Amino acid sequence: MTLKVNFRQLSILVFMSFIALKFLALPSLLYLDSKNMSWMVALALMIIDGLYVFLILDLMKKSNHHNILDFMKATLGQVMARVFLVLLMLKYALVIANISKGLEFFVVENFYEKMNWVVFVLPLLLLTGFMAYKGVRNIARVSEIICWAIIFGCIYIAVKSLMGVEPLNFLPLFDEGVAPLFKSGFHHLSWFGSCTFMFMLFGKVDFSRKKLGQMIKYIVFSILLVMLIYFIFFGLFDVTAPIHTFAISDISQFSSGHSSIDELSWLVVSLWVTAQAVQLALYSYCMVETIKALFNVRSNTFPIIAVLLYIFMWSFVGEMTVGLEKVFLSPYASIVTLIAQYVLPWLMLIGYATMGKIKRQKFNDSPQQENVPEEKPRVRAKAVKNEET
Amino acid sequence: MKVSKETKSKIQKKLHQSSDIKTRSVQFFGTNVDLMYIADITDTLLMNNSLVYPMVSFKAGETDDVVKELKDKVLSNHEVNEFSSEQEAIDGMLKGMTIILVDGADKILGCDMEKITTRAVMEPPTSVVIKGPREGFTESIKYNFALIRKRVKTNDLVIKTLEIGELTKTEVGIVYFSSVADKKIVDEITKRLSEIKIDGVLDAHYLISYLQRNKHSLFKQIGDVEKPDILVGKMLEGRVGILVDGSPIVLTLPFVLIEDLQNSDDYYSQPIRVGFVRILRLIGVIFAIILPGVYVSLEIYHYKILPTKFLVTIMNTTQGIPFSPFVEILFLVLLFEILYEANLRMPQYFGMAMSIVGALILGETTVNAGLVSPPAVMIVALSGITFYIIPSQAAQFSILRLCAIVIGACLGLYGMLIFCVFVLSYLSNFDSYKSAYLAPTAPYIANDQQDLFERANIADMKKRPKSISNNRKNSVRRGKDDSQS
Repeated sequence: MTLKVNFRQLSILVFMSFIALKFLALPSLLYLDSKNMSWMVALALMIIDGLYVFLILDLMKKSNHHNILDFMKATLGQVMARVFLVLLMLKYALVIANISKGLEFFVVENFYEKMNWVVFVLPLLLLTGFMAYKGVRNIARVSEIICWAIIFGCIYIAVKSLMGVEPLNFLPLFDEGVAPLFKSGFHHLSWFGSCTFMFMLFGKVDFSRKKLGQMIKYIVFSILLVMLIYFIFFGLFDVTAPIHTFAISDISQFSSGHSSIDELSWLVVSLWVTAQAVQLALYSYCMVETIKALFNVRSNTFPIIAVLLYIFMWSFVGEMTVGLEKVFLSPYASIVTLIAQYVLPWLMLIGYATMGKIKRQKFNDSPQQENVPEEKPRVRAKAVKNEET
Repeated sequence: MKVSKETKSKIQKKLHQSSDIKTRSVQFFGTNVDLMYIADITDTLLMNNSLVYPMVSFKAGETDDVVKELKDKVLSNHEVNEFSSEQEAIDGMLKGMTIILVDGADKILGCDMEKITTRAVMEPPTSVVIKGPREGFTESIKYNFALIRKRVKTNDLVIKTLEIGELTKTEVGIVYFSSVADKKIVDEITKRLSEIKIDGVLDAHYLISYLQRNKHSLFKQIGDVEKPDILVGKMLEGRVGILVDGSPIVLTLPFVLIEDLQNSDDYYSQPIRVGFVRILRLIGVIFAIILPGVYVSLEIYHYKILPTKFLVTIMNTTQGIPFSPFVEILFLVLLFEILYEANLRMPQYFGMAMSIVGALILGETTVNAGLVSPPAVMIVALSGITFYIIPSQAAQFSILRLCAIVIGACLGLYGMLIFCVFVLSYLSNFDSYKSAYLAPTAPYIANDQQDLFERANIADMKKRPKSISNNRKNSVRRGKDDSQS
């Protein structure tokens, strides 16, 4: 059995990544810039993300099972490869910060009156460290199990809240022209670019049962699901949307009609924590892989410790707004996403196209990366000792 | 080696003059023939009738080759073993053979006269079925082989035996279908078994730690069955069975978690009912593990998310309880575990009295005394009952439940969720002999969904499960003619 993820698992990872950040603070933040056209921004950027998935898939196939660093070295050159790797690392760091901070406030707001996040972050670090250490196949398998619960949960909340939606809240459209759409799109770009994690899966996807139809289905479904929740969120809250920080939990509270979350909704809301935790593990894994590639480290241990310390550091940033405004909503963050997600694939494609036949042949013939993890030397030593005794 | 009077004494000496070593001397063709056997494991009646009596009653003439005459005239109905050393003869004797020492012969002869003492074939208590075969394995490996052979009439069935245990020299059998099982897995199992260095194997469970890859894991990595129909069913899917003489448990490999949600009854019942029952089992498992933990976390941290009416009921019943919900639940869980252990070990006739003491006196009195609340008793009782939906995993569930309670008390619902993802992640990482532990859910295997939460009609289950590593060239269950139609 290989340690690669299969195409279905990749589709699920894409699906989870597409919806993970969209149901928390994003809807209310989008409303600040683009009012009742916010859903259009999200729709446009998600469609673009969806198209980029296929571009990255094409690059993955062209990489011929080489990892991202090798592929970037071959297509962009040594220096540019490292520069872009740093940019990717920054993008992952941004997503990690967003997820961990978002998760903290989501949990605090929905479940606890008072909590010490420094203590509470420890189990999250344990889980993230474990999953990142075990690799992307492990994360993909967990996603395969929990994604259905999350889909059913979202649909349950949506169906329950649908009756209160006021369609007139979406009008008028384009009363300030299309400029706010672009402004809002750029401003919130860091929340999108959901397929950047795929770069770290170069050489780790089994294309033997590639079904593009399956991928299209998952992408379309994720867009529809996000649009459904946005439709309900903006339809329910309209001008009060900015004060509703977490779409997924606020919609369900609205539906219950009283202050506490009703019967099953709390279960659905709590399921969202699992989705966030798995996403955190996925992006932590990506960051670990980037660090390994950047610093030529073979062992997982030190990069994982570095990433966990980075996550832990965020628990000392008290206010979520500080974290968001200073880091995630800054134009720098948008630029990082713009380059890492939307420019880099084209550069790689152009680089590959201009490689020349001989260089391409040489690249394809060069040894592929190993997918079998290194055997632990300690274990091997023990085995030898046993044999001797 | 020449057999002489000394040979007998040498063998007796090597066996430390044990009192159950018996010898008989018979004259055959004027030559002294000594029979040696171990009284308790040898069928003396068979020996007398088929060996001693023909030798004694044989009208002897003259012969140059007594051994040949013995083989041709007396032992023609038996499989005769020839031993060239005393140690080999002793090994044969220990397996129930009667060894024949013919004065002056080059070799010691041995005939299998083993007296197989075993209980009758009965329905095993852990695999009771409403409809379906009731035969269970016994402690005799020979009987168990026969029970398998009875169901399988093909030359594809392979039974290999090994001897494990320096002192016990226990017979261990590996059974599989050569056309279905993955040869690499068979080879790996055989290699692992043949490399075992241990003084004794008293039960199949002794082999588990040698066969499982993750030795320190809490989770079960090897299947166990007690009924031949289940074993053959598993073998038809590509698994390998490991039988141990002296144990009614047969180990099966590879193992996937979903196996424990399946029951032999499922294949003898209506598919619709089976789907419903399997989902109930899964819910039962989830209840068993996390329900007390969720209760504790809701009581301590998240009482606000409970519906108001439900919250009022809980508040009314928990008022005046001197302990925190954590201590309350922990106390009840430990009480339940103690009662279970005591009930399991004490003589059967105490069982009823124990149930009364446990359920009525302890349960009722603690509630009436206001030490624990009725919802806590109900939660622990529900969790305790659902444990035994899958009895083979009860030990693991018990540990997980304790972890869930502690995490629920320390971190609340958030901790419980992280705990659940952690367990899933841990299990996702397991591979048992090339089979993913959580297959066919993660990784998703479309073909195997037909026997997951729903069970397709047997007629529609045309392909062997892909979750189990088996011979892919023989993946179709039915014959060529049938599949073509």
